[in-house]
Amino acid sequence: MRLLLPVALLATTLAITPVRFDREKVVRVKPQDENQVSILKDLAKTSELDFWYPDATDHVAANMTVDFRVHGKEFQSIQSVLDQNKMHYEILIHDLQEEIEKQFDVEEAIPGRHSYAKYNNWDKIVAWTEKMVDKHPEMVSRIKIGSTFEDNPLYVLKVGKEDGRRKAIFMDCGIHAQEWISPAFCQWFVYQATKSYGKNKIMTKLLDRMNFYVLPVFNVDGYIWSWTQNRMWKKNRSKNHNSKCIGTDLNRNFNVSWNSSPNTDDPCQDTYRGPAPESEKETKAVADFIRSHLKSIRAYISFHSYSQMLLFPYGYTLKLPPNHEDLAKVARIGTDVLSTRYETQYIYGPIASTVYPTSGSSLDWAYDLGIKHTFAFELRDKGRFGFLLPESRIKSTCKETMLAVKFIAKYILKHTS
Amino acid sequence: MQPRGQLRSAPRPGPARPFAPPRALLPLLLLLLALRGAAATLKDPGTVDAPEPPSPGMLQQAARAALHFFNFRAGSPSALRVLDKVQEVGWQVDPTRGYQVNLVFSTQAYHLQDRERRLGRCSAQVLFKNQKPGPAVTVRCAPLPEKHMLREDRLLFKQLKQLKGALNVSSIPDDYGNIDPSLRPMWDLAVLGSSYVMWERTTQFLYYYPLRISSVKQWKTSDHAIDFDYIILLHEFPTQEIIPCHIHLIWYPGKWLKVSYHCEDMQTPEASSGTEEGSAVAPTDFSNF
Repeated sequence: MRLLLPVALLATTLAITPVRFDREKVVRVKPQDENQVSILKDLAKTSELDFWYPDATDHVAANMTVDFRVHGKEFQSIQSVLDQNKMHYEILIHDLQEEIEKQFDVEEAIPGRHSYAKYNNWDKIVAWTEKMVDKHPEMVSRIKIGSTFEDNPLYVLKVGKEDGRRKAIFMDCGIHAQEWISPAFCQWFVYQATKSYGKNKIMTKLLDRMNFYVLPVFNVDGYIWSWTQNRMWKKNRSKNHNSKCIGTDLNRNFNVSWNSSPNTDDPCQDTYRGPAPESEKETKAVADFIRSHLKSIRAYISFHSYSQMLLFPYGYTLKLPPNHEDLAKVARIGTDVLSTRYETQYIYGPIASTVYPTSGSSLDWAYDLGIKHTFAFELRDKGRFGFLLPESRIKSTCKETMLAVKFIAKYILKHTS
Repeated sequence: MQPRGQLRSAPRPGPARPFAPPRALLPLLLLLLALRGAAATLKDPGTVDAPEPPSPGMLQQAARAALHFFNFRAGSPSALRVLDKVQEVGWQVDPTRGYQVNLVFSTQAYHLQDRERRLGRCSAQVLFKNQKPGPAVTVRCAPLPEKHMLREDRLLFKQLKQLKGALNVSSIPDDYGNIDPSLRPMWDLAVLGSSYVMWERTTQFLYYYPLRISSVKQWKTSDHAIDFDYIILLHEFPTQEIIPCHIHLIWYPGKWLKVSYHCEDMQTPEASSGTEEGSAVAPTDFSNF
């Protein structure tokens, strides 16, 4: 196919001179008439466009498919010109460097091994936590914060360069078992943190000055169940009195306006809040940990899927939290920065009005406890695959989310005391 | 880059912000404004509680309902569309009938081969009937490439006829989100059938995505039709319930689609079921007002 040749050529070029193409995009346009042709030619003069097809501006003609490479930074202005002139375009390649590297991808998943590009079962994740601590003892330590209903361990990874009373951010993944992309992100985060420390300026600064407490799987029992018995399982696996139905929705089980939502009181429902606030061992373990580290925790982030949203409190009321403008600003910039990678669009807002009123959520609980910056991500996608997000999309989802999380962390570092 | 035509932030209390329509949608907009002038207005302008304009959430609901209805009536698994951006054009509240939203929206092909972005444009009027699901929809979409659709459907039909072991199928997609390419047409057909169900169940508050075919009960192909009986899991928002729906469809490519279903609801055991026929023939606007 047409695209392989230029990429292959680029690849050989790489071998001679190490040029990188990070964030470079390849765009396809089909100018419909002479007017659009001249618009394109003008663009080529004012911005740096590298034509892949045809090979020179002179050969651009009406009704021909035109492909060109442009840097991500220039792309925005190109986009507005194309939009203004009603010219349709497609982004063929979002990040050229990535495409090139894919061809050399040695990290090809060996069946049975942990991979950041695949979904890993619980056993693999446990082994991975051990490996992370082994490989980066000066930066990663593993803390057992409690155990689950079925007595599986709840592990938090503390990531950061030194100790002492430093600001911290608590992040959890996998509160809902079926949302596999969520634990995948937590693993990716720790991987990137350890890999880019000392190499990436921002990450280095963050890890030098802050601690990240990362809970890669909150709902371990549920996660295991979703791997072995029911891929669509959401809740934990605790038994309910007087019911044959199993499980509580951990994200309805926190002690914040716990019983205010109707339809969360039936053990057979997927959003069952449990018999009492913090009734679940998992909820209690996390709540206890956050309470005992309250002095240092400045932000709480919870990862879910799907819908592509960045949410903040409140869920239990339509009233807005006192710093909602601040939260909205962070969310707006966070979702903007996320979209720069692959154009993935997120919406943002308070839970109650953006999704619907919910009670007992970890987000609201952490906020009312005193952590003034709490966010929940609903990761990809928007319904095409839903929970069954194909593995081929794991990496890109993680990469874009990373940008938003790093932004939030930078903000916390700078704007909280 | 701000996406156009989509409110990204949460609504503040108070009047909605005015919105400049994207240039491309202006012709449709003008058409709808003309329609709106002729449409029914509020019965009693003197009421103390003036009805609220539709929230962004409500707009999404209306668009979803309209698109499900459109997909069903178009009756073409290869021409399924998904929602892109939505914009409100008008609204009316009639206490006896319900809440009507007039809107325009853009669509993308369901089959995003990761490359194509054939944007479609639709305008719709959606009436959410007081407390009753199955909103009344009038939807008009920019002319579809019918010959192309028909050709694609016939190809799909051929592939489906050659499918072996359809009855042994369980879980499409699999746990890792994969769909075997040979089973992709079956998934598309299943989603088409579920469009009818999702349209009927959509309200101002509830919406759905098809999650997975969990089993195939019956699969019969003849020279002219496919008789498909299956269970599909629908993910219900915002309740987060996953609802198994048993759907029986008969598809005559290029001609019509017949759907009957029964969903296993936890909440309402008298549950939802229904039967309907959709036509795969020419008209680009569908209505059941």
